[in-house]
Amino acid sequence: MTFLLLWASTLFAQTAKFTASVSKNEVGTEEQFQIDFSVNGNMEGFNPPNFNGFEVLSGPNESTSMTSINGSTTVSTSVSYILMPVKEGEFTIGPATATINGRRSGTNPIKIKVVKGRPVPQNSQAQTGPDNALSQASAAELSKSIFIKAVVDKSNVYQGEQLTLNYRLYTRVDIEQSQVDNLPDLNGFWNEDIKNLQQTTHWRVENYNGVNYHVADIKQSILFPEHAGNLTIDPLGMTFVVRVQAQARDIMDQFFGAYKDEKVKVKSSPLVVHVKPLPEGGKPDSFTGAVGSFKIDASVDKTEVKANDALNYKVKVAGSGNIKLLKTLNTAFPTDFEKYDPKITDSVTDAESGVSGSRYYNYLLIPRHQGEYTIDGLKFSYFNPATARYVTLTTKPLHIKVDKGTAESNVTAFSDAEKQDIKTLGKDIRYIKTEDTALNKPGDEFFGSFAYYALLFVGPVFCYGAFTYRNRLRKINSDIVQVKSRRAGKIAAKHMANAQKQLLANNQKAFYEDVFKGLYGYLSDKLNIQYANLNRETIASALKARHANEQVINQLLGTLDLCEMARYAPVTHISQQEVFEKAKGIIQDIENEI
Amino acid sequence: MKFNRIKRLLLLAVCLVLPMLSFGAGKANELFAKGNALYAKGQYEQALNAYRQVINEGYQSAALYFNMGNASFKNDDLASAILYYEKAHKLAPGDDDINFNIRFANSKTTDKIDEVPEFFLARWWKAFILAFSTGTLAMLSIIFVLIGSAMLVLYFFANSISIKKASFYISVSLLCLGVFAIFVAVMQIDYFNNRRQAIVFSGSATIKSAPADRSASLFVIHDGAKVNILDESNGWMKIRLANGNVGWIKDADVKEI
Repeated sequence: MTFLLLWASTLFAQTAKFTASVSKNEVGTEEQFQIDFSVNGNMEGFNPPNFNGFEVLSGPNESTSMTSINGSTTVSTSVSYILMPVKEGEFTIGPATATINGRRSGTNPIKIKVVKGRPVPQNSQAQTGPDNALSQASAAELSKSIFIKAVVDKSNVYQGEQLTLNYRLYTRVDIEQSQVDNLPDLNGFWNEDIKNLQQTTHWRVENYNGVNYHVADIKQSILFPEHAGNLTIDPLGMTFVVRVQAQARDIMDQFFGAYKDEKVKVKSSPLVVHVKPLPEGGKPDSFTGAVGSFKIDASVDKTEVKANDALNYKVKVAGSGNIKLLKTLNTAFPTDFEKYDPKITDSVTDAESGVSGSRYYNYLLIPRHQGEYTIDGLKFSYFNPATARYVTLTTKPLHIKVDKGTAESNVTAFSDAEKQDIKTLGKDIRYIKTEDTALNKPGDEFFGSFAYYALLFVGPVFCYGAFTYRNRLRKINSDIVQVKSRRAGKIAAKHMANAQKQLLANNQKAFYEDVFKGLYGYLSDKLNIQYANLNRETIASALKARHANEQVINQLLGTLDLCEMARYAPVTHISQQEVFEKAKGIIQDIENEI
Repeated sequence: MKFNRIKRLLLLAVCLVLPMLSFGAGKANELFAKGNALYAKGQYEQALNAYRQVINEGYQSAALYFNMGNASFKNDDLASAILYYEKAHKLAPGDDDINFNIRFANSKTTDKIDEVPEFFLARWWKAFILAFSTGTLAMLSIIFVLIGSAMLVLYFFANSISIKKASFYISVSLLCLGVFAIFVAVMQIDYFNNRRQAIVFSGSATIKSAPADRSASLFVIHDGAKVNILDESNGWMKIRLANGNVGWIKDADVKEI
């Protein structure tokens, strides 16, 4: 908007006119504007007014122009300043004085209204000359005629739930030009444009607040809130050049109708969307952020392959929602399969109703070893905002038969290339102990207990016992006489056994000889008397010396006499059996007494 | 009659030792088995309760503390887990599973405490005396002494010179081994008695320069950290970390192993 403020008169050109004009008479603080003092003639002694309340940024800039039309030459001179207001309020720039054609004259004072901030934009064209139509329509009036509204289909959504954002232009005036000032950043959203500004707009008529408007959707986006909270949708700002009817100034205008072009800055008001976080309760492990409504299907291109041949595992996720934001799937392939990152293809349509379509994951798998494998069912979870529930879908497990491959043979590698490192899949604590679970009472440790000491001393005590036993044995063995006397019974027993044999064989002579030898030998050992020295007297005296029973001695001597006699003459008054028993009894008696 | 004496001694030993090895703890064993079953089902909290009842019955064992540590670990109670593992370690210092889980649990704690490296001989000696539990060492000492004695008896009665020689040397070395086993067991008991340790239980504990609240704060340690107790003074403990830092901590922040 430009206002040419003052025409001093509508006199002929040759009359000197000294005028002051400003590029605008309503400016914002910190906005530059220009003031011109011009005269069609020569100007001398120019005296500028006092620019109270303004800062002179540049000036005075003098310019002179000379035009010659049909032989008459006109000279015009102008002095201009570029000013900037210092504070808000109404100011008057006083008259400038100059001597023109010898006459002192002054300009009109100019009123300037300084408002806070940037004022209404202006039509730059209007500045170029006084012929242009001037706009006088107020900004408020225009803002009713043309405005942008941001509209969302829902303002209360879950995180990740899609919503459609529409920037809608309402107008009742003709638009000459349009230009985008600032596009909304849409911070906190992942957005997908359905329709952008460059595309052709379809106008329709809509009644808004009782007034009919031409309405067009100038920008449509589908938004996916990325986090919970109150998210603000930034305004969209545009500048339009509109043609409005102007007041007729002269007869021509009245006849043809006066129009003027006006620049209008339009901004939608910011919009707040309430984003709820996804509920924590019941959130499945396989949930990775899918929100909407989906279906899933998994398939393989062949169920029987050779080892080292490739296999394609396809997963199709179809539905509506944040399908482009889906992360990789929780696939569970056999660990012996070589797995490559999936190739992802989208076939998604963006419409006003939302994003829908399908995403294909194509996994390339290479089984390395033969065998029967199962690709476990794929678990896919999503949040359905319509029902406010998590849904988990599971695909069918797929069975793959891997035959022995041919490629293994032509792998030229070292022999240990076939060996592979054991893959560590995870780390965990070791499992609890279920065996060797003997429970003790504290303080009942075996070490230091009485039983321990008892057991510990068993060995040394045993040793000590053995040691003393051996020493006694040695002492006993070192005494030959005693040994002989101890062994006498055994030797006699041997002779007596021989005698019994002879008795059974009925060999009388040999029997008596054996009994005699046995008794003599026994007595020799027992009484420690040389065999040759043995006779009735020595035996009797030795036995008496050892306090043997008189009766036993008499019996012994009797038996010895009998044996001696029997060796030369047959004995009849006593049987051999009786002699044998008698001899045995005597040995027994002596053994017991001595 | 010699054999009679030995028989009597053996009988005495059997009468004394067997009751100690037999488990009069029927109910405690049942509870322990129940805890194991609950653990296997993944009900760690209930399993821990069952194990605690075993302790309340007055029984303990390395396996019990180990399992309690596992259940606490699965319950995300790292400090308790480490405490129980350390208790199990005290009862069975050479057990590989226990030592592994101690290391694993320590790797999950907040604080990274670099241990002051020990002289290699000290480290080896420590590993050596901790290699077997006192129970095992006690058994070993008894077996060594018994076989050594038997060898000595053989030496007493053997006739051949070579058998006499061999049995003598074997017996002397076995008896020495037996005495050494007792020595190691005593060293181990001494080691655990002299080393008082505690586990930090509060989420973050400030170590002060003196046993008073208004004294200067030296550093902060977090739950699961192991500290050596040096001294105690009305409600405060003087502690030393494995990296050598010394300070005072409140009694309530730690639990002694």
